[in-house]
Amino acid sequence: MQSLPVSFSTRRKFRVARTLARHGACFALAAQLISLPGLAAAGEEKDKPAAKGSADAMLQVMQGELNRAKTDLAKSDPAPYFLSYTVYDQDQIFIAGAYGALLSDTAVKRRNTDVTMRVGTPELDNTHGQSRSSGMTSGNLPLDGDPDATARVLWELTDREYKRAAPAYLNVKTNTAVKAEEEDKSPDFSKADPKTHVGEKLTPPPFDKKAWEDEVRRVSGAFRKYGDVYYATVILQVGSSNARMVSSEGAAIETPSASARLVMEAQTRADDGMDLLRVETFQAPAASGLPSEAVLMEKAAKMAADLKDLRKAPVAEPYAGPALLSGRAAAVFFHEVLGHRMEGHRQRDEEEGQTFTKKVGQEVLPKFLSVVDDPTVGEISGMKLAGTYEFDNEGTPAQKVVVIQDGVLKNFLMSRMPIKGFDKSNGHGRNQPGLMPTGRQGNLIVTSNQTVPERQLRQMLIDEAKKQGKPYGLYFDDIQGGFTLTTRSLPQAFQVLPVIVYKVYADGRPDELVRGVDIVGTPLAALTRIITTGDTQHVFNGVCGAESGSVPVSAVAPAMLFSEMEVQKRAHGRERPPILPAPGAEGGKDDATGVKP
Amino acid sequence: MLAAAILLAGTARARTNAAAPEDLDRDSTTAKAHEVAKGDVLLEALLTELDRSKDRLKMDQVKSPYYIEYRVEDVENYDAEAAFGALLNSQRQHIRVLRVVVRIGEYKQDSFYGPGMGGATILPLDDDPIALRRQIWLMTDEAYKSAADAYAEKLSALKQFSADPNPIDDFAMAPVVTKVEPVVSLRLDEGAWKQTIQEMTNQFRKYPEVQTVTASARFSAVNQYFVNSEGTIVRNGHLNSTVTLNGAAQAADGMRLQRNPYWTEARPEDLPKRGELLKETTKTLDTLKALREAPIVEESYRGPVLFAPDAADDIMAGLVGGNILGRKPQLGKPNRTVGAFATSYKTRILPKFLSVVDDPTMKEFDGKKLVGSYDVDSEGVPAQTVKVVDDGTLENYLVGRQPIRDFPSSNGHGRAAPGTAAFPTIGTLIFKSSEPETVAGLKKKLTAMASDQGKPYGYRVDTLGPGNAPRLLYRVYASDGHEELVRGAVFNELDVRALRNDLVALGNDPLVSNRAGGVPQTIIAPSLLFDELEVKRADTSKEKLPEYPAPELKK
Repeated sequence: MQSLPVSFSTRRKFRVARTLARHGACFALAAQLISLPGLAAAGEEKDKPAAKGSADAMLQVMQGELNRAKTDLAKSDPAPYFLSYTVYDQDQIFIAGAYGALLSDTAVKRRNTDVTMRVGTPELDNTHGQSRSSGMTSGNLPLDGDPDATARVLWELTDREYKRAAPAYLNVKTNTAVKAEEEDKSPDFSKADPKTHVGEKLTPPPFDKKAWEDEVRRVSGAFRKYGDVYYATVILQVGSSNARMVSSEGAAIETPSASARLVMEAQTRADDGMDLLRVETFQAPAASGLPSEAVLMEKAAKMAADLKDLRKAPVAEPYAGPALLSGRAAAVFFHEVLGHRMEGHRQRDEEEGQTFTKKVGQEVLPKFLSVVDDPTVGEISGMKLAGTYEFDNEGTPAQKVVVIQDGVLKNFLMSRMPIKGFDKSNGHGRNQPGLMPTGRQGNLIVTSNQTVPERQLRQMLIDEAKKQGKPYGLYFDDIQGGFTLTTRSLPQAFQVLPVIVYKVYADGRPDELVRGVDIVGTPLAALTRIITTGDTQHVFNGVCGAESGSVPVSAVAPAMLFSEMEVQKRAHGRERPPILPAPGAEGGKDDATGVKP
Repeated sequence: MLAAAILLAGTARARTNAAAPEDLDRDSTTAKAHEVAKGDVLLEALLTELDRSKDRLKMDQVKSPYYIEYRVEDVENYDAEAAFGALLNSQRQHIRVLRVVVRIGEYKQDSFYGPGMGGATILPLDDDPIALRRQIWLMTDEAYKSAADAYAEKLSALKQFSADPNPIDDFAMAPVVTKVEPVVSLRLDEGAWKQTIQEMTNQFRKYPEVQTVTASARFSAVNQYFVNSEGTIVRNGHLNSTVTLNGAAQAADGMRLQRNPYWTEARPEDLPKRGELLKETTKTLDTLKALREAPIVEESYRGPVLFAPDAADDIMAGLVGGNILGRKPQLGKPNRTVGAFATSYKTRILPKFLSVVDDPTMKEFDGKKLVGSYDVDSEGVPAQTVKVVDDGTLENYLVGRQPIRDFPSSNGHGRAAPGTAAFPTIGTLIFKSSEPETVAGLKKKLTAMASDQGKPYGYRVDTLGPGNAPRLLYRVYASDGHEELVRGAVFNELDVRALRNDLVALGNDPLVSNRAGGVPQTIIAPSLLFDELEVKRADTSKEKLPEYPAPELKK
């Protein structure tokens, strides 16, 4: 009974990603809601210098129990050298609607905790290699902060965690002794300056639930008009979160946040069985910051119109030739193709492909491009960014990291897991509650100093096609997400899933919408084929899934012209569109818009 | 024109095969159905889509469905959980789940196989006819296409086997039922229940020896809506209320000790009151404390064992309840059903003095309401009283609309948890002896048998945990009848053979055991006396004690 529409609606779309995930690491970025939001996301609150010996009762209980565990477990053999408690508060409302009625209307309030323990030494501890998950045990805590009950549960979880971590450490020691030496001999945990910080508590913004329920009904009801939009949902998720963390090193951090997210999804199916999807996502610190109903209604109409066109669009043929990516498409492209390969832990894991590990100081992109990951930026081009946070899940302050400067690889996205040549975290250790952190993206921002006004790019695409003697170039207007493979045992490939793609003809014929194209390729080759970019930054907000779970991220990039891009036909189901016409979409009595027998 | 002709032929075949008692023409059946559903937007939406689908659902090269069924569960839940005197969770949920089954073929052989066994989706909570119908429409379309795939798959799979000379139908005929009962709703004092479970678990303060104390309270109101293309329309609702307590401790040697009593009733107000639950909590925590000090069963024992009703229900639910369900075996397999009694029809499976009846029509027993009671099952078939075992001999299986050998029609036991497929399930299973004995008499017998076998004591079990491992096991001394609590034992070979050969007497102390879960069930069983069972030491490893002491209490 836990399955809410969220999982229902995402089920079909990730069929491909899931299949691949079974074979190896696979990371998918999607605009949809995948699970609950990451909790280290910062809202708009003003920071306040940390009050010494914070007055937060919950932090005090956590600290008290942490100190007791630290002292008492020091006598155990083997003894932990690091311990932290993170407590996540979630207060969320989900309202989901379809075709004018509510499908689900739930409020979730919970407080859960991750107890993290490292046994051994920073050089070698229980979290080494494959035994990383032995570093964390999670559970639910009392909602009201009752000190006795809270301390008691923390104690239970800590004891349970010790009983996993200690044997895991002994295993790690034995394994390290019998196995061949690893290529990267970095320690398992890096040093860090413990921080204390208490973010200002937020007064939850007023939320008129009844009014929003009605709005979700009305906006989702807009799809009733369209007989060929077979599935459409509008999901609103509004809430506040708080993350508190204390560590045996002395960190004490509290970061409250609030967010509102509205996701509209509409789906149809072409006569050949291809499912076609449009998704629109809006994000704001509070529901009041979301677009007006009129704007949402316009979006719904646009989505339905796009789907109608897509149903009729021809299936694109495999192609290699010039391509223009819109800013959002380029942003997702960079997130998948480059961003995931910049995550620090992938540079030491011996299972990983390590595309860029030994390329520091070398040119990996055209000179006019630079890439930073900056979680400290809250907004770009008037859009709020989803990957903004103050502290990462290891209590390290978020930092702007220059990953690529003028085409040259400079740095990786680091958690507290060191790699050769990079021995400190740069504030990118992120995870969803219950999973061990790894280096992850926050706001990946691509900038260019070789730009042309955006409106000129289409002509440049035509020119490039002519130059190469191709009848057309491809224009990727919107993209639904993508995934990438980074493990060694599989080809270093990526796939992004464009939804709105046009053939732009060299001979001046009007542009033609096509469907069923996937961009494919290998990262090193693809990235060097960028010729020029547009002059405006575009934002893609989404949820990114990887080993350490789902975290909110942003990717920001200008439109980009590629001299060559390869596309393949998308694998799709063969099931026909519904046989009977949609109820309510019938003009007369049961006049068919569906396929007749 | 051709399509229409095939379509009509399809419906005609379905209808002549259906065991509809009255031969009404279709329009009047439809009109009658809509009359019954009047005012219930959900039922009306289901019927509208049912009409549309049964008339017009048809693909090239694929037969029209001969049967379509919609089942909706509207589930309202309230869950609360507490630990150590504080609330961990308190949540309300409302969801509507639709399950659609579309069958292609005919009653004798159809598409009910693999993906053709139906699909589920959620439905809008608002009574908005168009929004409801859109979801129903999509799911019906998917179910029809899945049925088409499944039918082809099944026919090709059947080619591997030689044809059965006495084939068993795939689907049983059933009478048309129209029964629209009032809906139920969840009315309870959430605040009071939150308070109660907090108070229950707050008793941990008095028990430093007990490591974990949690409790939960779960309530649900489930309204089931069922319509099928044969004309059956059913709406009924039931409530389910459960309080669970969980206590755990470790003995000084590290052995884990657990107690998880629970209380299940239909209506929240029928659950034990706050005071009684607090008393039960004290009792439970006392036994945990006692268990820590209890001696371990070191040596194996073969001799008489007496099970109290609170232990007998679990044994009977597992060994009898789990084996009398008429579940069709895998394609091509010759057996009647699956389970330990698959080949025991008309055979003695229990002692001669023991009879078993499943009676879902019984509402109360000894003044206690039964959660296993219902009027119409999840396949729209009226509940029936089934004599399962008569004087020790297996007379009947519990069956739904999937026939098995010798049982061509449903006896009203096809039941389903929300959103899942219906399966034969027990309702209220009642165990009765023709020669019931008093508890005192059984105890006397226990010690007498122990003495006869030259043993100083017999064993008595109060309550069981998972895997029928005793949670509270006592040695009853033959010398003076005094009891000694022991720990760390399991039964060896407590199976259907032991039930048939070693069960020697039943008590006159039947206990109503209401059981929660997706499909509510009730077991009514008295004490059981076995003349010989093996009790041996459990081979569970001893865990380490906590690394450091629990935090001191501040309050």
